[in-house]
Amino acid sequence: MQRWTSQPIAVPPRTSWQRADLEFEGVEHDGASFVMHVFLNNPDADETTPRTPEQRYAGYLTVFAHGDCWGDAGHCDIPEPVSAFDQRPPHPLIPFDATLEITEALGALLDGTGLDGTGLDGTGPDGTGEITVTALAFNKADDTDGVLRFKQLTLLTYA
Amino acid sequence: MTITARPAPNAAPARLKVRKNINSLSTQELADFRRAVKQALALTDKRGFDYFASWHGVPFGWCQHHDPLFLPWHRAYLYWLELALQSQVPGVTLPWWDWSTAGGIPSAYSDAQADGEQNVLAKAPVKTFSTAPKSGWPTETSRAPGEVPQTPGPPYGQEWANAMKADNYTDFSQRIWTVHDTVHVWVGGTMGQVDWAAYDPLFFAHHANIDRAWRIWQTAHPGANPPANILDTSLQTDPAMKVQATLDVNQLGYEYAGTQSTVPGSA
Repeated sequence: MQRWTSQPIAVPPRTSWQRADLEFEGVEHDGASFVMHVFLNNPDADETTPRTPEQRYAGYLTVFAHGDCWGDAGHCDIPEPVSAFDQRPPHPLIPFDATLEITEALGALLDGTGLDGTGLDGTGPDGTGEITVTALAFNKADDTDGVLRFKQLTLLTYA
Repeated sequence: MTITARPAPNAAPARLKVRKNINSLSTQELADFRRAVKQALALTDKRGFDYFASWHGVPFGWCQHHDPLFLPWHRAYLYWLELALQSQVPGVTLPWWDWSTAGGIPSAYSDAQADGEQNVLAKAPVKTFSTAPKSGWPTETSRAPGEVPQTPGPPYGQEWANAMKADNYTDFSQRIWTVHDTVHVWVGGTMGQVDWAAYDPLFFAHHANIDRAWRIWQTAHPGANPPANILDTSLQTDPAMKVQATLDVNQLGYEYAGTQSTVPGSA
């Protein structure tokens, strides 16, 4: 299992939004397919953690990926357009953005209905929270370490 | 129910073909579909199943995923394959696997035997078109449903409903490709890898359901098209098809229906 925890990320007050999305930007899909599970403020989450509201589970995303490169050297390198008139379709391995709606989970976190109900939930004093992602490769033979690679994570809220 | 497309002037109405739930096919319809796939599998030229399977991953790599072209490209893909199958057995259509309600792979695709022989929908050879296989490539399709750790299994009713709640194409596309990815990974084996997935006949039942989802969503959101800047994009299929041409399934000659009942008329 691969685990990744974000730096503290700013979380707007609950009264200011109706919907919340996590946007994983620049997700690489040139290796093994994988599934990732997302937890809020639960940095110890792993593959044994129940995927329940009490564990601040926010949802999952699955990435159907290409697998090992089978071509000749350079086959899976993403080329730059050779000219302004290059009309070839985009390279299939260009990283993509994946969105997970977390409205319910983030709302529960801010409402303090999380892990143990002791009031330890919600954002920190500076209005931030942490996102933890666990990832597993679909094929047990594949190396799970490094299967999850993305450029940045954004929390988007909508009024 | 009779569904007709707008006829050309002075032409007889063109009857739309109906794609059905795999579980609602009659015994004869299922046998015809299997026969079409079997005959296509036996062809090594551009009419054959292997040629079409080769479009998606190895060796051609034409598929579009995780972008706004995902739905149009796969609609065109299914359209061309379905015509090829109809050239083998007239009238057959691609059935769909409704993983939003079904708890597993339909028996039509999982039973090892069918009609007294190996079920061609359960396992197929991997024969890359005009490309010599390399060491390590699969020689036949495989599946491992439910064996991929931590991957939620069907039915995916909640994910389907979430996609249907989208109010614009981009949102819908992203939500439906998310559950699409999950189905692929849950099935596992060759279906779980872009490079090899389309060699499995189950791939096309899965994608017929994705295409059906788009059709249902389109009906509920008339005019909610893909971004204008991709409508003129040519999708990499053989022959090519523009995104604009994929928007109306009736113009492509098919429709989705759960059931179809026909009775004789009075003539």
